[in-house]
Parts: sequence; structure tokens; C-alpha cells
Amino acid sequence: MTITIDRRRFIQSAAAGSAIAAAGAIFPGISFGAWPKVAGNTGVVSWQKTPCRFCGTGCGVLVGVVDGRAVAVKGDPNCSVNKGLCCMKGYHSVQALYGTDRITTAKIRKNGEMVEVPIQEALDLVAAKLKETRDKHGKDSVAIYGSGQWTIPDGYVASKLFKGCLSTNNVEANARLCMASAVTGFMTSFGIDEPMGCYEDIDHANVFITWGNNMAEMHPVLFSRMLANRKRRTNVKIIDFATRLTRTSQAADTSILFRPQTDLAVANAICHEIIANDWVNWNFVNEHVSFHKGKTNIGYGTEDHFAFTDQDEAISFEEYKKFLADYTPERVEKISGVPAKDIKYMAALYGDPALKVTSFWCMGMNQHTRGTWINNLVYNIHLLVGKISTPGNSPFSLTGQPSACGTVREVGTLTHGLPHGVVMNEHDRQMAAEIWEVPVANIDPKPTYHTVEMFRALDRGDIKFIWIQVTNPMVTMPNLKRYREGAKKDDRFIVVSDVYPTPTTDVADVILPSAFWIEKEGMFGNSERRTQHFAEIVKPPGEAMSDTWQIIEVARRLGFEKQFPWSKEDYIEKIWEEYRKFHAGPKHEMASYQVLRARSGVQWPFVNGKETRWRFNPQYDPACTNGKDFDFYGKKDNRAWIWARPYEPAAESPDSEYPFWLNTGRVIEHWHTGSLTRRIPVLHNAVPSGYVEMHPEDAAQLGVVNGEKVRIISRRGEIVMPAQINGRGVPPRNMVFVPFFDESYLINEVTLDAFCPISKQPDYKKCAVRLEKA
Amino acid sequence: MMEKKGSEKWAKAVPGLLALSFLGLLLVTGREARSVEGLDNFDHQGKKLYEAGEATPEIYLSADSGDRNLASFYELRQYPGSPPRIPHKVDLSFSGNETDCLSCHAKGGYSPEFGKFVPVTPHPENSLCYQCHVPLTEEKPFVASDWQSIEPPRLGRSFLSSSPPTVPHSLQLRENCIACHTGPGAVAEIRVAHASRGNCRQCHVPAVQTDELREFQRK
Ligand code: SF4
Repeated sequence: MTITIDRRRFIQSAAAGSAIAAAGAIFPGISFGAWPKVAGNTGVVSWQKTPCRFCGTGCGVLVGVVDGRAVAVKGDPNCSVNKGLCCMKGYHSVQALYGTDRITTAKIRKNGEMVEVPIQEALDLVAAKLKETRDKHGKDSVAIYGSGQWTIPDGYVASKLFKGCLSTNNVEANARLCMASAVTGFMTSFGIDEPMGCYEDIDHANVFITWGNNMAEMHPVLFSRMLANRKRRTNVKIIDFATRLTRTSQAADTSILFRPQTDLAVANAICHEIIANDWVNWNFVNEHVSFHKGKTNIGYGTEDHFAFTDQDEAISFEEYKKFLADYTPERVEKISGVPAKDIKYMAALYGDPALKVTSFWCMGMNQHTRGTWINNLVYNIHLLVGKISTPGNSPFSLTGQPSACGTVREVGTLTHGLPHGVVMNEHDRQMAAEIWEVPVANIDPKPTYHTVEMFRALDRGDIKFIWIQVTNPMVTMPNLKRYREGAKKDDRFIVVSDVYPTPTTDVADVILPSAFWIEKEGMFGNSERRTQHFAEIVKPPGEAMSDTWQIIEVARRLGFEKQFPWSKEDYIEKIWEEYRKFHAGPKHEMASYQVLRARSGVQWPFVNGKETRWRFNPQYDPACTNGKDFDFYGKKDNRAWIWARPYEPAAESPDSEYPFWLNTGRVIEHWHTGSLTRRIPVLHNAVPSGYVEMHPEDAAQLGVVNGEKVRIISRRGEIVMPAQINGRGVPPRNMVFVPFFDESYLINEVTLDAFCPISKQPDYKKCAVRLEKA
Repeated sequence: MMEKKGSEKWAKAVPGLLALSFLGLLLVTGREARSVEGLDNFDHQGKKLYEAGEATPEIYLSADSGDRNLASFYELRQYPGSPPRIPHKVDLSFSGNETDCLSCHAKGGYSPEFGKFVPVTPHPENSLCYQCHVPLTEEKPFVASDWQSIEPPRLGRSFLSSSPPTVPHSLQLRENCIACHTGPGAVAEIRVAHASRGNCRQCHVPAVQTDELREFQRK
């Protein structure tokens, strides 16, 4: 099943018989000439820096402002992430401010109808309902569900209010659906979260291996930096290791396809080969690595109240080697469909001491029922050969959202998290209680619900009040139907803060109008530990209010003035300086507010005025103290951990009744559920609707041509949508791919809510479906 | 000509003295001292311009198809300086493969397929074309938009009545003047008659006007 693509042939086959393209004559379209111009303007624009609103790459952009309106964008040449280049989403991002259906006033449900009310009245109702629910049903009957698109202050005040003041750990964020496995991967392998490397690795590596990662569309600016390096330096190769052919495959030197879920087996086979050929970097392994195993046969979490705790056991290298004996390339070829020679090829690239290797991954490895394991396994490869924490040698876990790192992972807006450490740890609770000025007894040492379980609790009625900010779960939850019906139940109270109407505001009892991105001050934190400040650049429309301030207003109504004392003038600065206390010290020191304001992003640890580009390496990282060439200080034994993690099958695999894999994801034009990018005319008009991508032979067998309707049926639900054949991606036989940006085709009614038992992150990439011509 | 006031925030952010120190640097596009670093970034590809001039045959530099004009140029943009959308049909599999777009847009020339002279990209080193440029496959908007753009820069503005006009746009991704301002694919209004002189910025100063600059003028 492996293809070393001949690019030309791929393009020809992919382009053949494209009906939609044939219809794509030149439309007049919405264009510059037709747009009204800001009155009296003569082209004089002022520019202000901000991180891009969209992906976790975290490009710096300059927004052009005229008369209080954002009118243009250019890449920020001072930002080292993108050096002045953006992608289409960044360039057109400011158009997302101006959809005519912006939510500008608060609405509350009265007799089944949503009616506009002054925002202060809506906030009164939110506070009253929260209090009433808590009094009647207990502290864990109320919850907040936020986002990796929350700013850092948004997430910080949410955690402070719910965990510190209201004593519930019912704080979750959609980053659970995107980065949880990355976090547990880091914690289990290194004992400390977030990548050791930085984007500069791209300028040093000779080999890039993308693991289930369509970077060309999802992290385009980083991908084009790879391409520029390949052009400039002669010794650069890109290997695409994936389950379907994408634009990344087209640009890669080699594309190797594996059967879904079998990345686990292939990663182990690569380690098997590295040991069999004695490519192990023994100096590194002896000094810096210890070996471990955990529980196996760990389940899939599809049942309510599923619980799992891993247990680690130290093993010897010999035991690890014995564990790998099952994973010879020849045996793994049978499981994965990857020819043994390709496995050996990848192993040789990792093993060659002359090559610097960077691995990239994102949702393919994280949205995986063994997501923690596959993260561990790729670290294993890098650790065996000692290719880590040096320029160009980097196992690099990319982030999807602009502040999944900044707000969710660093602020700890997950049920077990705190701004520093976890609720289970007494010392961490004490630290939080002190900084928050709350009694330590306020902070409950027991985590409650992770995201999937939180929405199950809402359905069951264990949670009766939920406040949803900056995310659209009524499109994104897997096994969606159950959770939507749960949210609609009679005595549930749903508060939604958003900027546009979505299927989530449809189920709301209160809708709060939010200030969007540059309509308020805040910070994001990107994939490479970079914190990025933006000022309020334009005014929010109507009564729209920042999500941070909404929470402060409600907190004060609940009597927590002492914890939320700030004024509107400088609350972001004050919150930042309070939050920063949690991270004092060389392992996580954050830059001051003044420094963040002045620069286009600052990487932490920011120690003595210097950013730390490669962690665990004493040449760059002042937190290293052991006097050796590396210091993996996250773990108590000062070592990085190699884990013996087996291959286990997916929660649901195709069978005779449901013979197709269903894989879901994104396209470059659209951000997540499309509520923003579909309001950007040029992006919507490029990809105006959802579709199901099929292999041409599967389509022929089913008798559908491009644009004809296909019914996708799983054990949970079904939808009908148009087929796309030979489009930008081509799945292998017996797999279909559906992007999830289009709310009129809710593909998550079909997906399965199975998750990684360690990270609790659902697997959106694998479930079984059958197809019918509709 | 410019009645509009900068917001108070701007006025505060850049006191007169600071603005004064920027006087010699008319191409300021950022607002704080850090913009000075940005200067390098904007202008470091002068070499590219020189080489492009060298590589383009004289006869091609002065050719004019008269086919593209500023109206159709801006038609493809959401604001002056935004990446233009793709005005012609592309395969659905649009790969951005270098040989696809760049086979025409790197060098220009006549395209029998479109019956037109092809515009040349000013940044052929960026080969992931679909990163920024999208085709149009549908005309209807998802919802209406209240987007407002700005007037494009006026042409032919000089600082003195007899001096050569300034460069009115940012040079990011557009450092190579030759690409857009010469040849038969160039937009008629901005085609230069003296392209063979080669070193454009010997005479034409980049002057992207910003609020800061204007505030200084008011004083
Ligand atoms: S790559 Fe990501 S961060 Fe950069 S401009 Fe595109 S969407 Fe924005």
C-alpha cells in the first residue's frame, strides 16, 4: 500500500474528470471593486501587531486600521514565526469581524423564544442561575467549557472562578479534543509539557517526517518554510507518512501510506530496526534514558463513567528489546500494509548519525484511541538515536489552535489542571490558593469530568448548568446526536458566549455577545512556547464584551469582588502579572507584560531577558543543572522515558456490515467549524460546502460521480453529502474523508466517542461506516 | 487631503519627538522603534530586483499587451495588497506543485490556453501557491458582509513636483518591481516606459504612508 509518488502521475490522476472544476468558470464574485470604501480615506493606514486568530502556527500579523475599522493585513516581518508571510486565513482574517449577522446584543430565552436584553440583565441571569443550580444540585452541577481560542486571561479567570471560588473542577476546554494526547505524551515521556524544540529546527533538519499530518494545509506557513529549506539546501527530504494522499503527499519526496491505527506497530518496528542495526546512540541512552512499561488492553471509553489509571513499571533495556521482538518489519508489514523495505528506509533515516531528523505531527497522532502511546512511541525513536533537543533534531508536536498551549496547557484549564501543576497535588493547590487569595480547602483535589464525560454528565443531568465560550461543541462533539439532545433537555441551562450564531447558540438559554480577537486585549500561546500579546485594535460592536470581562462580571455578582478586583483600563495587565507568578523559575518563566507588549511574541522559559529555544540542552536552557550534555529535568530520575507500548486495534474497525473507514479533518480554507472562515467571502467562495472525499474506484463501484450525493451510515447516525472524487486529497480504497467545517453536514453525528484512556481525547479519524448512493 | 484623525491611542503611542526621528525613514510601516529593524526585512531583496532586470530581455520589458488594467487588478483583491484570488479555472486537485502555477507565472509570456499574456509573480521563491491564492468555485456569500476596503494608493505621487513618484505600497512579497511593472502581462496603468533602467529604487523611494507619518506632517 505504499506509494513513492511520481508527482506528475498523481496530479494527472487526481485531476481527471473533475466536474466541479469544469463548472468553475470565471465568476464575477465579490471583489474589491464592489466593496464600499471607508469614507474619506486616502490609503493611509496605521498598523498594529497581533498573532493570527487562526491556527497554532501563531504567525505574527500586522492589522491595518483606518477610522476604527480593520481594513488590511500583512505578515509581521518582526515575528520569527513567519517573517512576514501568512496564509490565506491570516491575510483575510480581518474580514471575519464584519459578517452582518454578528451577535451584538445579549439574548435570553423567554417562553422558548430568544429575546434581546441589555447585557447586564443577561449577566444577572447567568449569575443567578449559576448560584441557584449550585445551591440546589451541588457544586459539581455547574461547569464551564472553553477553548484553545480563549485568550490566556479568558482561561485564567475561568479557572480562578470555577476552581478557586466555586470549588468545582468542572473546567474543560476544546483543547481536550485536540491536544490532550500531546500533553499526556509529554508528561509520560518527559514529565513536563510542550515541545523541547522550536520552529528554527526547520532551518537545520535534513529529514522531515510528517506523521499523519497534512501540514501543507494545516500549518501552511511552516510547511512552506520546509519547502524553502529544501530548495535552498540540497540535502533536505520530506517524507509523508499518512493514511491518505493529501497536498502534503504531493509536495513530499516520498509518501508512505499505512492502515489506520497501525502507526503504533510501525513506530515499534522502526525502533526494532534501530536496535537490530545497532544505530542506538548508547552514550545518550545510557546517560539520559530509562525504560518503562504500562498497562495494556486499556479499553476505549465508549461507556459512561469509564475510568482508567495507567501504572508504570520500570523495565530493563533487555526487556524492552524483547518486547520489540514482535515488531519485525516483515510482521508489521502484514498489520500495517507498509512494505518492510519502507519501514527499514524510515528507520535508516532516523538511524543515520549524519542526518538531522525532525518529526512533525498533530491531529493524526493526537485524535487516536492510543494517542498517548503513539506520542510516546515517536519520542522513543528520537530518544534511541539521541536526536532531540538540538537544532534540527526534534520530535515536534504541532498545536492546532492559536492558544491551546497558551491558555489550556499552560493555564491548566482542564479538569485536573491548575495554572501550575494539578489539583491532585497538595503543593500545587496551596500555591493556587495563595495567589488566588482563597482558602486552600476551596480547591477540590479530585478531578471531575473530561470533555466527553462532561457532555455525558450534561445529558445524564449530573451537570445542569454549562457556560460555553469561544467554541462550537454542537458541531464538534463526536457522537453528536446524544450530546445535542442532552443539551436540549428541559432543566439544563446553557450559556453561550460567541460572535456569530452557530448550532451551539441554537441550544442556548442565554447568548452573550463576545468581543472578537483584536476587539479586546489578550494573549495567545503558540506551538513553540511563544506567548503573543495583542492590544484592542478596534472597538467591539454593540454590547459585545470580552470573554474575560464577562466572567469577571459574573464572579462579582457571585460575591468574589476580592478575587476579581481589576478595572477595565488595565485588567489584562493585572491578570497577566498575577498569572505569571505561577510560572516563576527557570523551567517556565514568562516575560513581563511590558516585554510582551513590545515584541512580536516571546518564547518561554524567558530567563534573564533571554528566550529558551531548545529545552533540556544546557547550551540553550538555563534550567539544566546536572552538568551533563542534556538534562531531562521533568522526570524525577532526570531521564527521558522510553515506553514499551504495543499495537492495539482501533475502537471500531471496518467489517462486512460497515466496510469503510471514516476519517475527518480540516481544509486550508476553513477554520474548525467554519463559523468564522465562512464569513470571509473569498474563503467561503473557494470551498463553499462540505463533501465526502472518495477513492475513484470506490466511487465507481458505488456508481457516483463527482458532486452526486452519498449517504454515510454508521452505528450512530447518518448523513447525506456530495461526493468529491479526485479532489485535493485521495483516500485509499475503503476509506472516506469528510471535512467538518460545514454545519449543514454534521459529520459528527456519524463519528464515535471513543477516546484514549490516558488522555481522554476522542478519535475523530477512525470509525466504521457504510455508503449508499443517495 | 487627510482630514481623518488617528485614534487617541495612536497619538499617545507616538509622541512627536519619536515621529521626528523617523523623518529620514519614510518607509516606516510599523509604529514603534522596532519598525527600524523591519526596514532590513523590507528592502533586503534589492539584489533580486537587480537580477530580475538583468534576466529580462529588453524587448520583453517594453512590450505591452494593454490587456490588464487597474480595475481588473483590484477586482481580484479584498484590499490593496491582499493576495489576489485565481481568476481562471484550476483543477480541483490544484496542487500548488511548482511546475503547475510557476510554469506560467514564473516567467510570463503568452498563454495560448487563455489567449493572454500571463502576469508574473513577484515572489517565485514561494512555491506553495495555494497557501494564499484560492480559486472561486461559488458566487453566493455564506452571509452578507459589512466589510469595507480602502481606496488604493494614488498613482504618480511625488514629494516634489519634479521628483520621481514614490513606491506607494509595502514591499513585502513585492520586492521585485520588474515582475509587475514591466512586460506585456503588466497592468497598463503601472507599466513603466523606462524599464530598461533596471535599478528602480535608485529613483523611487518606498513611501508607505502611515498615521505616524501624517501626524508628523500636521505639526
Ligand atoms: S499559518 Fe496559521 S497562524 Fe499563520 S496565517 Fe495561516 S492560519 Fe494564521
